[in-house]
Amino acid sequence: MNSPIRTWRFHGGVHPADGKALSNSVPAQRAPLLERYTVAIQQNIGAPPKPVVQKGDTVKKGQLIAEPGGFVSAPVHAPTSGTVGDIVEVPGANGGAIPAIEIISDGKDEWGSGLDPIPNWKNTDREILKKRIADAGIVGMGGAAFPTHVKLSPPPEKVIDTLILNGAECEPYLTADHRLMLERTEAVLEGAAIAAKILRVDRVFLGIEENKPDAIAALNEKAGQYGVTVVPLHVRYPQGGEKQLIYALTGRSVATGGLPMDVGCVVQNVGSCAAIRDAVVEGHPLIERYTTVTGTPVANPGTWILRFGTTVEQALTFAGGVKARAAKVIMGGPMMGFAQTSLGVTVTKNSSGILLLQWKETAEYTSNPCIRCGRCVRACPMKLLPGPVSVMVESENYDEAEKNYVMDCMECGVCTFVCPAKRPLVQHFRRAKAEINAKRRAAKAKQA
Amino acid sequence: MDTNEILVLTVGAILVNNVVLSRILGICPFLGVSKRIETALGMSGAVIFVMTLASFVTALFNRFLVTQTFTINGTEVDLSFTRILLFIVVIAALVQIVEILLKKFSPSLYVSLGIYLPLITTNCAVLGAAELNADASRGLISSTVFGFSTGVGFGLALLLFASIRERLAIARIPKAMEGTAIALVTAGILAMAFMGFSGLVK
Amino acid sequence: MLITILVSAGVVAAVGLILGALIGFTAKKFEVQTDPKIEAVQELLPGANCGGCGYAGCADFASAIVTKGADPSGCSACSDAMLAKIAEVTGKAAGKKEKMTAVVFCSGSFSRSARAADYNGILDCRSASIVAGGGGKACRFGCLGYGSCARACPFGAIEIRDGLAVVHPELCRACGKCVNVCPRKLIRLVPASAPIHVYCNSLEKPAKRRKFCKNPCLACKKCIRTDENHMQMQAGLVRVNYSNPPEASFVEQVKCPTGALQVEEIHRKIAALKPVEPAPKAAPAPKKEESK
Repeated sequence: MNSPIRTWRFHGGVHPADGKALSNSVPAQRAPLLERYTVAIQQNIGAPPKPVVQKGDTVKKGQLIAEPGGFVSAPVHAPTSGTVGDIVEVPGANGGAIPAIEIISDGKDEWGSGLDPIPNWKNTDREILKKRIADAGIVGMGGAAFPTHVKLSPPPEKVIDTLILNGAECEPYLTADHRLMLERTEAVLEGAAIAAKILRVDRVFLGIEENKPDAIAALNEKAGQYGVTVVPLHVRYPQGGEKQLIYALTGRSVATGGLPMDVGCVVQNVGSCAAIRDAVVEGHPLIERYTTVTGTPVANPGTWILRFGTTVEQALTFAGGVKARAAKVIMGGPMMGFAQTSLGVTVTKNSSGILLLQWKETAEYTSNPCIRCGRCVRACPMKLLPGPVSVMVESENYDEAEKNYVMDCMECGVCTFVCPAKRPLVQHFRRAKAEINAKRRAAKAKQA
Repeated sequence: MDTNEILVLTVGAILVNNVVLSRILGICPFLGVSKRIETALGMSGAVIFVMTLASFVTALFNRFLVTQTFTINGTEVDLSFTRILLFIVVIAALVQIVEILLKKFSPSLYVSLGIYLPLITTNCAVLGAAELNADASRGLISSTVFGFSTGVGFGLALLLFASIRERLAIARIPKAMEGTAIALVTAGILAMAFMGFSGLVK
Repeated sequence: MLITILVSAGVVAAVGLILGALIGFTAKKFEVQTDPKIEAVQELLPGANCGGCGYAGCADFASAIVTKGADPSGCSACSDAMLAKIAEVTGKAAGKKEKMTAVVFCSGSFSRSARAADYNGILDCRSASIVAGGGGKACRFGCLGYGSCARACPFGAIEIRDGLAVVHPELCRACGKCVNVCPRKLIRLVPASAPIHVYCNSLEKPAKRRKFCKNPCLACKKCIRTDENHMQMQAGLVRVNYSNPPEASFVEQVKCPTGALQVEEIHRKIAALKPVEPAPKAAPAPKKEESK
């Protein structure tokens, strides 16, 4: 496919079986209204929000139920109208239990967000738009859940010249962004135009992998009106990694420990863009998202519009239940997602998919010694040395691992995927990052 | 003494006749202080310093005392047999002074060198350099250059070995081979590798 | 011949004298004050470098004892006889030391606790605790059973039996390494004289605790009602009051409905832990720590 701009090839990467055919041709369906939602209070990276409703309060759909706990934080809104129940504990997608607000539906599903639509956003002040995005609780919906308004407020000394929309969806099995771009093409593009206005940039790229030709065609038809350039990219995991995408589209590399804004870029997920448009043009806060419910054991794999607070169990019921024995339930995709131990896990702002795998599709833990074949080094998109670093972590030599840039690891899973010795490399790196972060926090606490 | 001669002397001492790996001198600190690169660097620095100084001072003694023949009461007195005796005393004293100064000015290096600093006193590598100088009847300058190069050769071997041992520390080694056993095997292989330099300088 | 001997002896003696004078001069000029007591104290310390005293190692602790007046009884691996000797060196009375021991507050071995998932990853508690579900046991508060504490123990005092860490009190020297390494914060140092403990650390809803484990503490407070002086609530958990621990017979008196309150010896018996003879030396086979 011809590219409108020059593109670069990032280092490494793999081509896992993508499994997207299971769900990519099924139109997204709106999930039926549930009787009860358990909305996790913290759905963003950063400060946890504070609940502002009491048990027994009546809420309208879209009403604020938890206010941000700081600048890097995002509010949470009621997914439907009804009454507030208890603050309950639900299993979190990253393990442990997280507090959630229970909303009992009254069946009317009445809007009452208190946010006025701003259809004429082109002539609206940037700060008002930014505030609207913050008030609507929009976060990065690709996975990290970083509050969007923070991303759109770069410090004045950073010059931003490029807005990149991440529609790569390189993670196997997931088709949520694919369906979104196909079905809500204009919403994505309009949201991008709003973000571009806030950032005052006129270079807007939408990076999309070539395996979604229908979405590319749909986007190309409208992109011109909104000043967006759609760039088809080669299919290679992790094409949608933030730093990989920036490199692919601009040829700029983010230095170790740096952020995209250091190289003049802001990256937004396409789902976040559609949410920006809904928040500004419709006055709707973020209360639902496109989520792929897929995997060979699922009866009707497809993409669903799920409200936050829906449990995995309910989502699987929408998809017709389970037809074969599943060995693993994963929140997210097979490469970066988290295996779950409970079906009570709820859908949050960054739940891009719910994936079920059968026994034959999962790998058993073996962890043989590193044979120094170097496949991980060739495959690592961050140009790290996964094999040697994992040996350092195994012997608990975290200082050495830190010197070898283990903190740059983005846990994409490529090294574990290619390792012929079946070493659990990503788990080693997660451990090392956790230990190093704990050490840094301790050092900081000592200083203070 | 021209540059060519200095080059031959230096390369010969560092690579071809490496004090540790081909003359097999100074094995004690080579095995003892090679667990970490930082201490290995400190030890190399100390050895280079002591060796250069010792070579210079012993060359002085050699030139003006040991090789001289004195005539006392008509009897010719040849002191050459006291060479080792004098060299040891001189080296021991030098090391003591270095140790005192180090303790005063760099306590952390002093602690990390630990027992090995006093061991330079009886380090055969230092005495060996002095003796080799005397045997080859080198002058003051070439003795000092030789002492310095030998020290650098020692440092090179120590540094190479320490780097390998840092990797060994995180490797999975069979239980029976852990520690000194694998270190000695490694040292042997390293010595064999240095045999490749023979013939570089005649 | 005689002259040769005399002259050479004289020369060597003269050289020695000059150099000796030089060393003496430098030593005086650049003298560094050190206390010989430090070395004496260090000799008496066990040399395991376990770090239980809170210092970087035995040498560091020795200098702290002599120069900063640290209490030698901070070393939990020291025997009383050694402490007395250290007190002799420093001339200070040794502080009274209560023997402490580590206790793993969990009784949920694999066979006595429910499992939520099969854990398929690195067999290490700290690595398991960073993935969702952490280790497979349904209880989020119990022992993971992958032995991070056992590997951290310099005295080999912790054994993993059927997915549960159990302490050999006769080997434990209360250095506290296991306390820091446990990702679930299950291990505490308590007086070794206390014969009974509440082997549960769960803050789950009491109804769920029973589902997850055969011997959970349900926080029914029956034991606290039996004797308030011996038992107390600590941060939502029922615990023995370690400043006034009850006798072993207290367990029979209370009749804990779940058996979470248990005599230490019986707990070990249930875990099928064989008693071990402590080695006669002060520090039995400590793992050699490299001072890094």
